[in-house]
Amino acid sequence: MATDTRTTVSEGFGEVSRTVGTAFRYLLLAATLVGILAVGVLFVYVGNDAIQPLTADPGWHLTFFLTLVVPTLAVGGVLRARADGSFRVGLESLGLLAVMPLFAGGVATLFLSVLPALVTFSYAVALGLVVATVVALMRSRRVGFGAKLLVVGVATVVSLLFVPGIIQSLPFVPVEWLLVALTLGTPVAAIAGAYATSSWNDRRTGRIAGAAALGGVVAAGLLGSLIGFGGTAATILAAVAGVPVALYAATALDRHPARRDGLLLPLTVVGGMLLGAFLVRTVGFAGPAAWLDWAFLTGPNSITAEDAGIYPALVGSILLMLIVALLSFPVGIGAAVYLEEYAPDSRLAQLIEVNIANLAGVPSVVYGLLGLGLLARMLDEGLPILPAAIADPLGLEPVRVGANLFGIGTVFVGGMTLSLLILPIVIISSQEAIRSVPPSQRQASYGMGATRWQTIRNVVLPKAFPGILTGTILALGRAIGETAPLLVIGAPNQFGLPQELSSRVGAMPLQIYAWATTSGTPEFYAKVIPAGVVVLLVAMLAMNSVAIVLRNRFQS
Amino acid sequence: MADNSSTRVSRRKFIAASGTAGALALAGCTSNDSGDDGGNGGAGGDNGGNGDGSTTTEGGSGGSLSGEINVTGSSTVYPLAQAVAEEFMGQHDGVNITIQSTGSGGGFQNYFCVGDSDINNASRPIAEDETQLCSDNGVTPVELKVATDALTVVVNNEADFVDEITFEQLDQIWSAEEPPTTWSDVDSDWPDEELNLFGPTEASGTYDYFLETVIGEEGPGMRTDYQATENDRQIVQGVQGSQYAMGFFGFAYYSNNPDVVKALSIEGGESDGAVEPSLETAKSGDYPLARPLFTYPATEALADEHVAEFARYFVEQSTNQELVAGTVGYVPNSDEEMQEAMDALDSAIESA
Repeated sequence: MATDTRTTVSEGFGEVSRTVGTAFRYLLLAATLVGILAVGVLFVYVGNDAIQPLTADPGWHLTFFLTLVVPTLAVGGVLRARADGSFRVGLESLGLLAVMPLFAGGVATLFLSVLPALVTFSYAVALGLVVATVVALMRSRRVGFGAKLLVVGVATVVSLLFVPGIIQSLPFVPVEWLLVALTLGTPVAAIAGAYATSSWNDRRTGRIAGAAALGGVVAAGLLGSLIGFGGTAATILAAVAGVPVALYAATALDRHPARRDGLLLPLTVVGGMLLGAFLVRTVGFAGPAAWLDWAFLTGPNSITAEDAGIYPALVGSILLMLIVALLSFPVGIGAAVYLEEYAPDSRLAQLIEVNIANLAGVPSVVYGLLGLGLLARMLDEGLPILPAAIADPLGLEPVRVGANLFGIGTVFVGGMTLSLLILPIVIISSQEAIRSVPPSQRQASYGMGATRWQTIRNVVLPKAFPGILTGTILALGRAIGETAPLLVIGAPNQFGLPQELSSRVGAMPLQIYAWATTSGTPEFYAKVIPAGVVVLLVAMLAMNSVAIVLRNRFQS
Repeated sequence: MADNSSTRVSRRKFIAASGTAGALALAGCTSNDSGDDGGNGGAGGDNGGNGDGSTTTEGGSGGSLSGEINVTGSSTVYPLAQAVAEEFMGQHDGVNITIQSTGSGGGFQNYFCVGDSDINNASRPIAEDETQLCSDNGVTPVELKVATDALTVVVNNEADFVDEITFEQLDQIWSAEEPPTTWSDVDSDWPDEELNLFGPTEASGTYDYFLETVIGEEGPGMRTDYQATENDRQIVQGVQGSQYAMGFFGFAYYSNNPDVVKALSIEGGESDGAVEPSLETAKSGDYPLARPLFTYPATEALADEHVAEFARYFVEQSTNQELVAGTVGYVPNSDEEMQEAMDALDSAIESA
């Protein structure tokens, strides 16, 4: 029974090799780099084909290196070394300056090519009246909820039915750019005002900011139409890009004086670009013979590679994304809120959750078949409001609506198919965002006597909103690249600008597929397709950048 | 309380904003029908809801056309239709022409005869059962010849053992009856290497024409163990990638890729020796695989002015040497052929 005190207890400690761990670590590093490298090589390859930077004069590269790259690196380095947050301000303002004009371009294509200004304006006014009714009713405490709902419902129907018609038949209407300025500038001004109110914590500043935004948009439109840039284009550029950039700069200057030097970074970049362009033009250095130029971006498709442009596909993709966002956002968030906040923890709810997770993994071509079978073929005659099975016994005529929206390969069916495709992803990511709201905050809200609806509205949704938006935008980024479902629902190989929701669908990945398959000459492979891929990737990255910024800003 | 104050401000803001907006709107007014021509042009009748908007446009903008035209059908006619549509859309901003390459038969069966497209292209005449299907659905096709093609049989550039081929050899290679596996099975002078075959699918008019002309409709039919695609570019790539490959498609895809694959001269039918495929031999009729290409507008769709105009334009352009032969690579119609097609089209438009 004597205790054994042999000294070989530490047998296992004797020789511990570090080699395994080191090897494991570098294996993981390699695994990380493989993906990034492969994508990087693709970017370089495609970018080189589309832009062809090597065709430029060496002097051109040198000029821009001296006027743009060197000063930017210098200013960036100094700001970064200061480590007081000004570098971040610089990066953010630079990002805004780079991305917002892209969004302005996207909005501009819609207003210039798809949405007639007067029709959009009339519907915007109708919606504005509905919003005004809601705001007016919210003040009143004597009217019951049922009555409020009834009034809002009636106001919505009456407003949407009659107001657009009345406005469109007016004998005199504002010029097109002014219509766009009012349609777009009013909500932008309202948002700018709200943002300014919250960041200055002062309502008067908010009102001034809103008025300045609207005034700025209108002034830009006037200026644009006078100097021949195009009133509508200038209006949209001011509303979508100008207002946010100005607001950001004003906030940085006035609210965070310590970091205001960060604004030097975008100034350096813009100044460097202008100076470089001026020098290159005066000296006469030739720029790169890029395939991706203005003519490619704004031209229609063609059978010859030289004339082929991507504009109809670009507009088609933007229109599709608009439909997908409008359809999948409310439905997906609604489902997520229900599942997280209301659904009882039952077998049924669990079954639904598991199935949503499974649906997120269903291949896109299957969704395409769903779109073809259900939306394009079964609903070809329209959505049955009063189906024949019920109408016939009652001796009534069956009622179907939206017959022209449904059908083979229409924009609407394409948008709905893509919405269904990303809906599970939107639901799951929204659920994650809602789940990450701390339960203590909910309980605090309940503790103060708030109802569940008030808690969701005032605590959960505001807190979860950035996360919800991030997930939705990333899902949209998946939808913009989808080709297979659109092909299955009968998308054409050659398409022009979509004119209405019942037009045949067109999109950038479809156009690239058509170039790669039906266009005969090798020139399409060497130049046109890379240029198209770059446009598609830039559009996708611009969308994703919003998600990334939101995530970074609100993660804390 | 917080609720209350926030709504009061937003209402005041709303009034201020709408007041500013109204003042601005008064400042920049134009007459509705002149100033907004361009704007309404894009409306195209949103959903019947703003029908009055689109009618004023049609009256106001001096006979310019607007609307959608959906074209389906043959992949052989696709490049020609695309070139014509491109020109037409360049002249008429408001018209959106979409073209889907479905194969002649695929287009008739799945789209045109069930009313899902206005025009179907075909690289063979419409078949009887397709006419039946169309009339069952109240669709009346009008046959318009738009060009002549030389169906081209191609092999790899490295295949120096073969320059010409006869109908009998083609029949032997492609027929389902005892399909050979190697080149030497067909001709003992050819190498003992595996045949690598690429061709169009059954939905294709090119398939139908080849079957009828070379193999014979009554025979055993086409073999099925070849790589079938409705995408002529893939046939080019397949043949380019394998030294012992063979494929066939319309002449346009060969004339676009003359250096990457080799076209065979064909002997058969009434031809005098082996004839190489070219626009000249197809036009003269010497080339045994020369065939007409068609487009079939639906008479019902021709009731719309923009569809009728496009069909007329298509027929007019079918004699355009530069477009049909130069850009696309088919034999243009002669003036008589064009006139014949135009007469057929005009009478169809009148009856529509």
